[in-house]
Amino acid sequence: MRRFVQFMLLGLVLGGLLGLYLGWFQFPRDTYRGDMTELAQAFRDDYAVMIAAGYAADGDLPGALDRLSRLRVDDVPRYVQQLADRVIASSSRDIRDIRLLVALARGLGRLTPAMEPFLDLREGGR
Amino acid sequence: MGRQLPPPARIPPRPPPPQSEPEEQRSQSLFPYWLFSFALVVGLVLGLGVSWALGPLPERNTEPFQLGEEDRNHYMIAIALEYAHSGDLHRALEKLVALRPLGDPLQALADAACELASSDYINSESGVQALRLASRMYTAQGRSGCAETLLPAEDLPDKPAAAADPAAPLPSPTPPPTKTPSRRASRATATLRAVATSVPQRTFSPLPASTFCDTADRAVIEVKIVDYLGRGIPGQRIRVRWGDEENVFLSGLKPERGTGYADFQMDEGISYSIDMPGASDPLRADLITGRCYTESGRESLKSFRVTFRADS
Repeated sequence: MRRFVQFMLLGLVLGGLLGLYLGWFQFPRDTYRGDMTELAQAFRDDYAVMIAAGYAADGDLPGALDRLSRLRVDDVPRYVQQLADRVIASSSRDIRDIRLLVALARGLGRLTPAMEPFLDLREGGR
Repeated sequence: MGRQLPPPARIPPRPPPPQSEPEEQRSQSLFPYWLFSFALVVGLVLGLGVSWALGPLPERNTEPFQLGEEDRNHYMIAIALEYAHSGDLHRALEKLVALRPLGDPLQALADAACELASSDYINSESGVQALRLASRMYTAQGRSGCAETLLPAEDLPDKPAAAADPAAPLPSPTPPPTKTPSRRASRATATLRAVATSVPQRTFSPLPASTFCDTADRAVIEVKIVDYLGRGIPGQRIRVRWGDEENVFLSGLKPERGTGYADFQMDEGISYSIDMPGASDPLRADLITGRCYTESGRESLKSFRVTFRADS
């Protein structure tokens, strides 16, 4: 009798695990819908750059702050400053993106010495 | 006469008892398959039920296409804002396509703007301004949505971009309105801005089509939309016409084949013409598929490669 119960439990556990695997990974009912906070770092950075570009286009600082708040960071100006510093230090983005972030950081009163060289850069285009 | 006795009957040897029977019994008693199978099925059903009831597992490091509807809409507006600054339609379309919309990525932007314009998003001047920039982007490309009609009349400051120019003097964080511009003045400003930010629709020229024979891609028109440097351009409308019918589809919806790629399945014996509506002349020659043979001698149907290149 004890052996029967053991096999029944073993079957239930294995079947349950298989069912969870199939239901979550192979045949999910819905696709996962996340929010901005769950975006990969590269896409969060990309979003911030797009908002910085929007600020460069319309000069709407409260709007930029509001849009960046969707990333649910505690302190948006500090976040922009840290992002700009990080991007400058790692050279991980295009110079135009850096300039946009620096411009936004300046608008937010968060200019750091590392950012200053990017304020004077001029490009052939815009 | 002596009677001869019959030979003693030989007792047949008893067949040896089957040896496997007790082993089977023993193994069955050790491993009750039926019970295990039953429990496995019950567990499977329970597991499926629980996983479907709880919904998908939360993920980290998601991509923009995995965003919920509201955040997707805001992400699209951010793309439009970036486009308003850079004027780089190629980059904007790539980002819109990366959101994996079901159809036309620019129309998806128009729909997102419509949805936001129907919400309290337009209660703030920032929201209105962002939606205006978004609507300029998609209307310049021939799309439309409800946002244009829902947005209030334009009431823009004179030179907003100057404040954010990285080389410009330090702006005040929240510039107070100095005076309310007159209606006439604001309309004039709006007209000027629209002219300045609208992007003329690109024109394309079809390059001569080439054919190929492949058993995997039978009777397919493979279309590539490229800029003058040969880089793929997503989100461009391509039209195939035959008889009284036509089909319009978009480039870039199969990113694994390239950002400017699209294809169309042909039927045998039908003549197809192809163009980009409003952006290019039709390809000079009509395309008709027919029997062909691959290099290995296998029979297939002829396919075509068509490229539309941006004029500038």
